[in-house]
Amino acid sequence: MADFKINTYDKSRELFNRATKVIPAGVYGHLGPAEGNFIPVSAWPFFSQKAKGAYFWDVDGNKFIDYMCAYGPNIMGYNDPDVDKAAMEQAKIGNCTTSPSYKMVELAELMVDTVNTADWAFFAKNGNDVTTLAIMAARNATHKKKIIFVNGFYHGVSAVVQKIDYPGVLPEDVANNLYVDWNDFDALEKLVAENEGEIAAFISTPYLHGNYFDNQLPADGYWQKVRNLCTEKGIVLIVDDVRAGFRLDLAGSDHYYGFEADMICFCKAIANGWNVSCLCGKEFLKDAVAGMSYTGSYWMSAIPFAAGIANITKMRELNLPTLLLEKGKKLTDGLKDAAKNNGFDLVVSGEPSLFYLRIANDNTMMLHQEWIAECVKRGIFFAGHHNHFMNYAMSDADLKHTWEVADEAFKVVAKNHPELF
Amino acid sequence: MMKYQNTKEEYTLTDAKTLAYINMYAVLGSLENLCQLDPKASALVADRKPISIGFEVKGGPSATITFKNGKCRMEQGCGECDVKLPFSSCEKFNGLIDGTVTPIPSKGFQHIKFLLKTFTPLTDMLSNYMRPSEEDLKDEEFFNISTSLLFYTVTVAISQIGNNDEIGKFSADHIPDGDIQMSIAGGPAATIRCRNHRLVTIKQRPDDPRSVMEFGSMKLANDLFNGKVSAMAQIGEGTITMLGMINMIDNINRILDRVGLYLA
Repeated sequence: MADFKINTYDKSRELFNRATKVIPAGVYGHLGPAEGNFIPVSAWPFFSQKAKGAYFWDVDGNKFIDYMCAYGPNIMGYNDPDVDKAAMEQAKIGNCTTSPSYKMVELAELMVDTVNTADWAFFAKNGNDVTTLAIMAARNATHKKKIIFVNGFYHGVSAVVQKIDYPGVLPEDVANNLYVDWNDFDALEKLVAENEGEIAAFISTPYLHGNYFDNQLPADGYWQKVRNLCTEKGIVLIVDDVRAGFRLDLAGSDHYYGFEADMICFCKAIANGWNVSCLCGKEFLKDAVAGMSYTGSYWMSAIPFAAGIANITKMRELNLPTLLLEKGKKLTDGLKDAAKNNGFDLVVSGEPSLFYLRIANDNTMMLHQEWIAECVKRGIFFAGHHNHFMNYAMSDADLKHTWEVADEAFKVVAKNHPELF
Repeated sequence: MMKYQNTKEEYTLTDAKTLAYINMYAVLGSLENLCQLDPKASALVADRKPISIGFEVKGGPSATITFKNGKCRMEQGCGECDVKLPFSSCEKFNGLIDGTVTPIPSKGFQHIKFLLKTFTPLTDMLSNYMRPSEEDLKDEEFFNISTSLLFYTVTVAISQIGNNDEIGKFSADHIPDGDIQMSIAGGPAATIRCRNHRLVTIKQRPDDPRSVMEFGSMKLANDLFNGKVSAMAQIGEGTITMLGMINMIDNINRILDRVGLYLA
């Protein structure tokens, strides 16, 4: 065994104790220990000190190769010099101003030029802003009220995209939401027939990359049939590309799978961590969006626009999605080898640039959770039950180090479970 | 679709039928545990012939509580019982639990003394443990019994809400098959078994759980049940342990949120 250093997190813990006094849940949401599934919680850091390239360092000085990439935004590598240079130069001349910066027009033009289905671009801050806008715009355009969601979905935090059993959500908030299983076109067709003339939109991620289950790619012909059905029935087809956007295809994940969405939502990877999201759509929906009351104090800030222009330009020059898909495949092949060599069945699902991991030796996920924790304790930041993210800065040396740590982690889990081997 | 108005029941989207199931199996059902945990309760029913009381609720649950050799056991249905207490509606039965309805037996009038002299004091003891004063909780033994009874009540209520409450059923629909362990370190444990999205609570630790949610101490469990601490923060503190199929626990927690609405 290589005998890697085992992290300790005294300062993280101290900060978390302070945080719980003044912040609900200490660290809320997906970055926190509850929703982030820190199992056991002692294996994870809570707070970072700095980040660079493929790595971040926590407040205790532990270094991590970060396969969560801040849950997606870090597509080029933390503090990418080209992106950050554009952001810093913009910061010197103006950011949040009464008249929006001309940079907004430049980024919109670049999005329209880059994204296959885009005739226009509308900017906001978070993925939720634009998924919610897409749903409202579809209702505004069609004058219909029902929205079809795919079971296992996550499209943000507005009440309309949450579920009836979530705290603070009323039945009325989700009364017009319909649900269908992923890849089940027959069920979708039936649902549409049962609600003929009432459906405003079908919203889905390009493939099913939800949490707690193996991610599922679209079946052959699925999206083409969905596209035809939506066109035939006047249903707006919305693709939520917040998570997968630019990691499969710079022209959009609908383009990657050979169809055209009516609206497509981007956020995470637009500006490599500078905060901007974007809804792109077809011409026939532009007036519907124009007529809506939908804005925010920081939505037209110029720094993220400048960063986005630099980032998209660089991603285009690099043909980045292809690199990330190849790099993800290489990484996960090595992880599968390490698993196999130690008697574990590691299932890798989803697209390689957003790979999802699951150890299938038991039906409880407990072995999986143990292995993930052993990796994190040794400086490989994986998530237990969420897809991961590749970025440009990850090197072959990082991949090799990851395989070595993974191997040691498998050996530790195997040693802890002699009954299995 | 349920309507959202300003009455308490509709504001919280609770319903009388689910509450009746909770009152039957979670609240009255915890008499089983009371007789195990408190020798005074056991003594009340020890030296007497076995006797069974049936509760039959029109449009709701029915169950029989049998007292035998100082022990208490609840079973579903009330086909054979010594005393039968019928209720014309779930609301009437819920009135029995909150003390606003006095039941009239349809069978077993000769056992009225047991109802008044034994059963009522037992349920009064249960109420004291379930709604304790701060002073009572300073006594360690009382505290432990109270917390254990709350634990069993909550874990059974989870299954009743998952099977009957409209929003709870939505959560249960997202729970895969298997056993979920709920437990308090150094204290009681229960199994919530899910089969085809129907839940049943078994008041013992599972042999082979697919997921585990364990509270770190009796004190923490009591504070959580009484809303004194945040479960989310405690997960971060590491005092609530979660393991295994987190989507099972995630949905159980959504139902757990509703337990408080019914039992408040």
